[in-house]
Amino acid sequence: MDVDPRLYEQMAVNDNDIHSIVMSYLVHNCFKETVESFIACTGMKQPSDHLEDMEKRKRIYQFALEGNALRAIELTEQLATNLLEKNKDLHFDLLSLHFVELVCSRKCTEALEFAQMKLTPFGKEQKYVVKLEDIMALLAYEEPEKSPMFHLLSLEYRQHVADSLNRAILAHANHPTYTAMERLIQQTAVVRQCLNQEHGKDVPQPFSLKDFLKS
Amino acid sequence: MGGVEDDEPASKRMKLSSEELRRLSNGSTIKETVAGSSGDLMARPLQSEGGEEVVGSKGVIKKVEFVRIIAKALYSLGYIKSGAHLEEESGIPLHSSVVNVFMRQILEGNWDESVVTLHNIGLTDEKTIKSASFLILEQKFLELLGEEKVMDALKTLRTEIVPLSVDNSRVRELSSYIVSPSYCTSVQSPKQDTLRARSRSKLLEELQKLLPPTVMIPEGRLEHLVEQALVLQRDACMFHNSMDKEMSLYSDHHCGRDQIPSQALQILQAHTDEVWFLKFSHDGKYLASSSNDQSAIIWEVHETGVSLKHKLSSHDKPLSSVSWSPNDHQLLTCGAEEVIRRWDVYSGECLHVYEKTGLGMVSCGWSPDGKWIFSGLNDNSICMWELDGKELECWKGQRTLKISDLEITGDGKHIISICRETEILLLDREAKVERFIEEDQPITSFSLSRDSRFLLVNLLNQEIHLWNIEGDPKLVSKYRGHKRTRFIIRSCFGGLDEAFIASGSEDSLVYIWHRGTRELIESLPGHSGAVNCVSWNPANPHMLASASDDRTIRIWGLNNLSRSVKQKEPRHSNGIHYCNGGT
Repeated sequence: MDVDPRLYEQMAVNDNDIHSIVMSYLVHNCFKETVESFIACTGMKQPSDHLEDMEKRKRIYQFALEGNALRAIELTEQLATNLLEKNKDLHFDLLSLHFVELVCSRKCTEALEFAQMKLTPFGKEQKYVVKLEDIMALLAYEEPEKSPMFHLLSLEYRQHVADSLNRAILAHANHPTYTAMERLIQQTAVVRQCLNQEHGKDVPQPFSLKDFLKS
Repeated sequence: MGGVEDDEPASKRMKLSSEELRRLSNGSTIKETVAGSSGDLMARPLQSEGGEEVVGSKGVIKKVEFVRIIAKALYSLGYIKSGAHLEEESGIPLHSSVVNVFMRQILEGNWDESVVTLHNIGLTDEKTIKSASFLILEQKFLELLGEEKVMDALKTLRTEIVPLSVDNSRVRELSSYIVSPSYCTSVQSPKQDTLRARSRSKLLEELQKLLPPTVMIPEGRLEHLVEQALVLQRDACMFHNSMDKEMSLYSDHHCGRDQIPSQALQILQAHTDEVWFLKFSHDGKYLASSSNDQSAIIWEVHETGVSLKHKLSSHDKPLSSVSWSPNDHQLLTCGAEEVIRRWDVYSGECLHVYEKTGLGMVSCGWSPDGKWIFSGLNDNSICMWELDGKELECWKGQRTLKISDLEITGDGKHIISICRETEILLLDREAKVERFIEEDQPITSFSLSRDSRFLLVNLLNQEIHLWNIEGDPKLVSKYRGHKRTRFIIRSCFGGLDEAFIASGSEDSLVYIWHRGTRELIESLPGHSGAVNCVSWNPANPHMLASASDDRTIRIWGLNNLSRSVKQKEPRHSNGIHYCNGGT
C-alpha cells in the first residue's frame, strides 16, 4: 500500500451507502434468502414484487447456465415480453446454446432441423453469418469437444450468455445492469493505474484487488 | 553398349566403323558421327548415359516423356484413335493401368473405389494422398447435397472428410452448405456458385495438378513447351516491331531490320530556334514540340503526314518542356523558370496560367486522372495545383533541381524528379515514403516507361541506364554509343511493347537500341545539329520524331513506306517530304 492511510481515514462513509451497494449485489445475483435476511437486519425498504421477479430471474439464469435454452427462452418471454425481439444478438446466442446441446447429445438430425428452422433466418444479416458458420461447423465433427469450436461447449460460454440474459432482463425492468460493487472495483483499478502512470512509477503489475485487500 | 537398334528397317541401318562405335559408347550423338545422315533422322532414339532412350540432337529429350506428351496432345485435340494407336505402336502407355482405372472411377463417380485406387497408385507423399482424397470426398459431399441426400452428405463429412484433418476452414464452409438451401437463397453470398459441385472432368483436372506430373501428364504440356520456345524466339528477335508478324512453327522467328523506323519521311520547319523538347500525345494523333524561340507547336498526325495545327506563343521565355493531359485534350507548356500555361488542344486557347510570385517553374506534369497539375520550381520544391489554380500541396526542401524532368507514375502515387546531381527521388506522396536512385555520375534527364515500372536515366558520361523502379530500384541495363558533352540530351522508350530505346545525340544522329539485348541497331543521320529529344509514337511503332538544334523536327518511318509515298507525290531527290509551318 503506497498511499498514506491517514489521507483517507478522514473520509466519512455513510452506512446507508454501504447497505445499498451490498443490496444491489445481492439483487443482481438473485440471492433471495440473503436479501430477505439483510432487509430484516438493516431495516431497509424494498418493493414487494422485487422478490418475485428475482425468483423468476434466478430460474431463467439457472436454465441458461445448464444449457436448457428453450426453457430459459420460454420463461423470459413470460417475464419480459418483446425482450428477445429487441435483443436479437441475445436471442441468437440462446438458440445456439440449444443447438449445441443437441449436438452434444449426438442428436444430429434434430440439430440440423432446428438450425434450418430457427438459426438460418438470422443468416440474412451479415453480422450473424460468421457466428452461424462457427455453429454449423460443429455438425461436422463426431467429437465436437475436439473440434476447433470447442469453446462453444464450455461452461464459460454458457455463463457469458446467461449473464447477458440477466443484464437484459434487468435493463428491461429499468434496473441497473451492473452492480455498484462491480463498478466501484473497476473504477478503483482504473484510477489507481492512471495515478501510477502519472507519477511515472514503474509498476509492472496492474492494480490487484486481492493484494489490496490483504494489505 | 549403345548403338543402332536391331529392329529398325534395313534402309536406315548404317554401317559403322569401329572408331564410330567407340565414340558411340562414350555417349556422343549419332548425328555427328554417322556420315551422310540427314536431318530427318533426328528422332532416332539413342542410349543416353543414364540408360534411357533420348531423342533430339542434344540428347536431352527422354523418348518416353516425349511420346507421352504427344499422346496427351493428341487426346486433347480429340484424336482419340490416333492417341490410342500411338500408345500401342510405341509400346509406351500414356498412363499406367492403375491411373487409367482411377481416372475412369472419378469420371463415373465411384468415389469410394477411387480413394482406394488412389492409395494403390504408388504416391510417396502422405500429404498429396490426403489432399487428393479430400478433393474426391468433397466432390462426393457436394454431389450428395445436390441430390438432396443431406444426411448422407453429413455422414460423409463427419466420418470421411473430417478425419483427414486437411483444410479445416473448408470443412467449416462445407458444414454451412448443409443448411444453405434456405440460407443461400436469401443471402447474396458468393458461395452460391461454389455450392454447385464442379463437373467431374474439372475435378480430374484439379487432381492432375495435385499429383506429380509423372503420374498424370499435365493438361496442355506440349502446347506450353512450344509456346515457351516461341516467346523466347520473339524476345531474342532484335527488330521485332510489328504486330502483324505472326509466329510460325516452321522456322525460327526473325524479323528484318525493315521494321525499325530508319527513313526521315518529313522535316518540320516551323520553329525559329533550337527545338528542345517534343512528345507525342498518348493516342499518337498529335505531337507537341517546344523551342528556344519561346513557342510551342501542336502538330497533327495524319495518314499522309504531320501538319501544323497550332502555334502557342504566349510565353516570354524559352520553353523547356510540354506535357499532355491523360486524355490528350489539353497541353501544359513550361517556360524555363517562368510560368506554366495550360492550353486547349483543339482551339489552341490558353486556359490557365500557373505561377507563384517570386518563383519560376522548371517542369510540369499531370496526375493520371487529369485533375491535378504538378510542377517543379526553382526553389527546389514541387507543388501540386487543382486545374483552376488552387494550390493543394507543396513539397519543400531539396526535391528537384533547376534542370529536371518531372514524372508522375500511372497509379498517381509517385512523383519522380532529379533531387540532387546524382540522385533521383521517387516520392510516394500518400505514404510519404521516399526512395532514391543513386548514380555515380550526374544525371541530365530521365524518361518513364508507359507501364511506370522502368525509368530510363541519361547521364553526364554518355551512358543511358535502365532502372526497374518497382520496390527497391535496380539497375537493369546500360546503353552506350551516343554522344553527349555539353547539352541535355533526352532518350525515350518506344516501339512495340516498348522494346526499343531511342536517344538524341550531340553528333546529330538518332540512336536506337534493342532494349533487351542492348545492341545498337540504328544510328540515323539527317539532322545538322545536336538532336536534343526523341519521341516514339505510342500508337504507331513505326513512327519516331526527333527535335534538333538545327531548328527542325524530323519524322522517321519505315523504309518501304517512304517508297510508296514517293509514288504519290512529285518526285523529290531523296524522297523526303518537307513541311514548312503555317498550313
